[in-house]
Amino acid sequence: MTALTMPARPKHDVGLRPVPWRRMAWATWRQHRAALAGVAVFLGASAVYLWVTGLQMHHAEAASCHPASSVACAINFTGRYGETAIMVSVALQAVPALIGAFIGAPVLARELETGTFRYAWTQGIGRLRWTVGKLVLLAVAAAAAAGAFTVLFAWYNQPWAAAGYVTPFSARVFGLLGVAFAAWTLAAFAIGVLAGMLIRRAVPAIAATLAAYAGLAFATALWLREHYITPLVTRSQYPPGSAWAISGWYTKGGTFAFGDHGSGIADTVRQLCGGPCSGTRVLVPELLAQHGYTHWTSYQPGSRFWPFQWIEGGWLLALSVLLIAATVWLVRRRAA
Amino acid sequence: MNIVEASGLGKRYGGTWALRECTLAIPAGHVAALVGPNGAGKTTLLNLAVGLAEPTAGGVTVLGGLAAGSAAALDGTAFVAQDTPVYRNLSAADMLHLTRNLNRRFDQPYAQARLGELGIPLNRKAGRLSGGQRAQLALTLALARRPRLLVLDEPVAMLDPVARHDFMALVMTAMAAEGVSVVLSSHVLADLERVADYLVLLSRGRVQVAGEVAGLLASHRLLTGPTAEADRYADRPVVHVRRGGAQAHLLVRATADDPVPPSWEAHPIGLEELTLAYLREPGAGALPGPARGQRAPHSEVTR
Amino acid sequence: MYSGQHLRVSDAEREAVTDRLAEHFAAGRLGQAEFDDRVERAISARTRADLSGLLAGLPGTGTPAGPELPRGGGSAPGSPIDFRLDAASGVPTYLQLVHQVEHALRLGYLKPGDQLPKVRDVVASLAINPNTVLKAYKELEVKGLTAGRPGQGTFIQATLGQVALPELAGLHKALLGWLGTADAAGLDEDGMVALFTSALRDFYERRGGAGTRRGAASGNTEGVA
Repeated sequence: MTALTMPARPKHDVGLRPVPWRRMAWATWRQHRAALAGVAVFLGASAVYLWVTGLQMHHAEAASCHPASSVACAINFTGRYGETAIMVSVALQAVPALIGAFIGAPVLARELETGTFRYAWTQGIGRLRWTVGKLVLLAVAAAAAAGAFTVLFAWYNQPWAAAGYVTPFSARVFGLLGVAFAAWTLAAFAIGVLAGMLIRRAVPAIAATLAAYAGLAFATALWLREHYITPLVTRSQYPPGSAWAISGWYTKGGTFAFGDHGSGIADTVRQLCGGPCSGTRVLVPELLAQHGYTHWTSYQPGSRFWPFQWIEGGWLLALSVLLIAATVWLVRRRAA
Repeated sequence: MNIVEASGLGKRYGGTWALRECTLAIPAGHVAALVGPNGAGKTTLLNLAVGLAEPTAGGVTVLGGLAAGSAAALDGTAFVAQDTPVYRNLSAADMLHLTRNLNRRFDQPYAQARLGELGIPLNRKAGRLSGGQRAQLALTLALARRPRLLVLDEPVAMLDPVARHDFMALVMTAMAAEGVSVVLSSHVLADLERVADYLVLLSRGRVQVAGEVAGLLASHRLLTGPTAEADRYADRPVVHVRRGGAQAHLLVRATADDPVPPSWEAHPIGLEELTLAYLREPGAGALPGPARGQRAPHSEVTR
Repeated sequence: MYSGQHLRVSDAEREAVTDRLAEHFAAGRLGQAEFDDRVERAISARTRADLSGLLAGLPGTGTPAGPELPRGGGSAPGSPIDFRLDAASGVPTYLQLVHQVEHALRLGYLKPGDQLPKVRDVVASLAINPNTVLKAYKELEVKGLTAGRPGQGTFIQATLGQVALPELAGLHKALLGWLGTADAAGLDEDGMVALFTSALRDFYERRGGAGTRRGAASGNTEGVA
């Protein structure tokens, strides 16, 4: 009998062998051809739509009358294109979620669900290189597609931005501009991939990805984003230019009186008038100012658009890297 | 060289040990059959050997000392899992291309020739092939990698007799031509003697029997004689007893050289019968090295 | 040549391969560069694994390009016999092959110089372990009935002791007489076979029970019900 001459726990390979990118690119493309093609078709169709309507808007803006020049022109412009533009920007918010859910989630979930990981992870390439290659390629492809799309959207949005109808900070468009769109797409992909690895079934993983992404996106837009840099405060009623007004409030004598929202203004005005105000029309702000109330607005100036973009892009990128690294770690450790 | 070597190997899932204290040394150049009832730990052992699972205790190496699941081990080992997984939305040609991309070594002409002989269309999606064709495809992909070790988990469980024959014929031919070593698990005992020349019997997560088939068969005899004397027989270790009213059969660990008591007859035993007998006696064992299970408990089997 | 890929090759085997390569080169089946390359590898080959691929893809050799399923049956063109397997007979597989060769020899289907089916072909048609076929062929070689030629196959080199025809007829008649007596004593067919088998075994055990005969006898034993 041959003597057994092996250590109690054989060591694994130290370090990662280089990934054969071209081979993994073919493998990834061929395996996920349907999903990738579906997303490409969807993005392509959207791009065509944006292109067509965008051209219309740009012609209208340049040719007939500039919306910024007169009120009548403005009403005409918004009447014709306003609703569509709003719907488009709202619809596009969902794109990163869809990419994350339908490309990211199934990547590992399908392998585990159908048992094909028993084929994939026993090939000579090894499970780590296979996973890293596939995830990195898909992540880069998704982010690049989203980035290209952002350029198109920025062009589409340009008449609105130029006319001042929508500040670039607006929750509706901030996530579609700059680097945010690509970063959100990447983050959605990373969420999807980790969800797929944890849940191990495609359909529940897709649902979980959509839910997690929606939660994160709403939390960021409604709360997190305004805190990236401490907002500036001004006394004027409306902050300058393309700034993003965050909140406003009144103080009297240096102390906080009441905020813009809520019943504070109405109550105080009633108090001051001694009942419902009547007679000469007096604007509320002037009335309050006469009585010693000072209005403050906190805002983010338009110049902070790109710093905000980098901050948001930065933490989304870090999150994505963390989630993908966690996924790879799980792949390494997970038993059959 | 030992193609698979395990030392105190164990795997626990949650609170249950699927495999325990498994120590094996399967020599190269053989077809090793891993046999046992469902839940005995066959799939667990195979998963550990190909690196799909991590041991909870002990370790396993393949191909003469390479850590299971390491890059070198993956390179020289090909695995076909129980449901012969292939990507259902890819055609056979795509699977060939994919496997070529995922491995250092791939014999494309061989794979295409084999698929052609088996009549498997290259351009049909794998999901539309029959179960037998998918199994043959998975096997062809594995063999085209020119592995030194082929691991098959219940490869023929789902196949009809003809498909089963063709599948095993392909495996055996590869072994004849290339010197591939084969480790396969099966709970169908009938075909084993034709195919296996090394046996590992797993029962409840432990190795009960391990050894070359020829050696095992040569070291066991079936003695037939009067029931009245059955209990008094103590010349050689008894593995299993079958009693009738007047006549009993004893499976003993003896060779053809060992003397047979008068009024008893000795016969050689076949692999299937040997395996079944051990499976019925979980306390008995036949492992290489110091003799174990010297005196196994008898079991009452009435005819 | 068909197993033991780790075994070292002899000079004779290396020479056999280079001779074949030279034949194919002369016949124009190999280009100069390919021929040079293969010869160099043959000369520096140390184990059977090294030699195994060198005659790949060339016709009429013992080692084609890869494992193949031959068409229709377990015999290469040139082997007069084809093996069969009775899985339910209880006789070990390798012994069945040995007996079939001996039987074929006795009946004249095989003559000295005939080639036995190649291991790969037997394996492909019967789906049995190649080591089993090798064991059977080795057994035949030990018995002196066959000889292996490296690179070519296994060939019959002797015949079984032939018994003259009149003697055979006499034995047959004697056996019929015995069978008549056994039948009159009340033995049925299975009983006759059992008795004969038991006596056969006793005969050879008494004879000295050396090597091959005992192996064959023990393989043939059937249980007495």
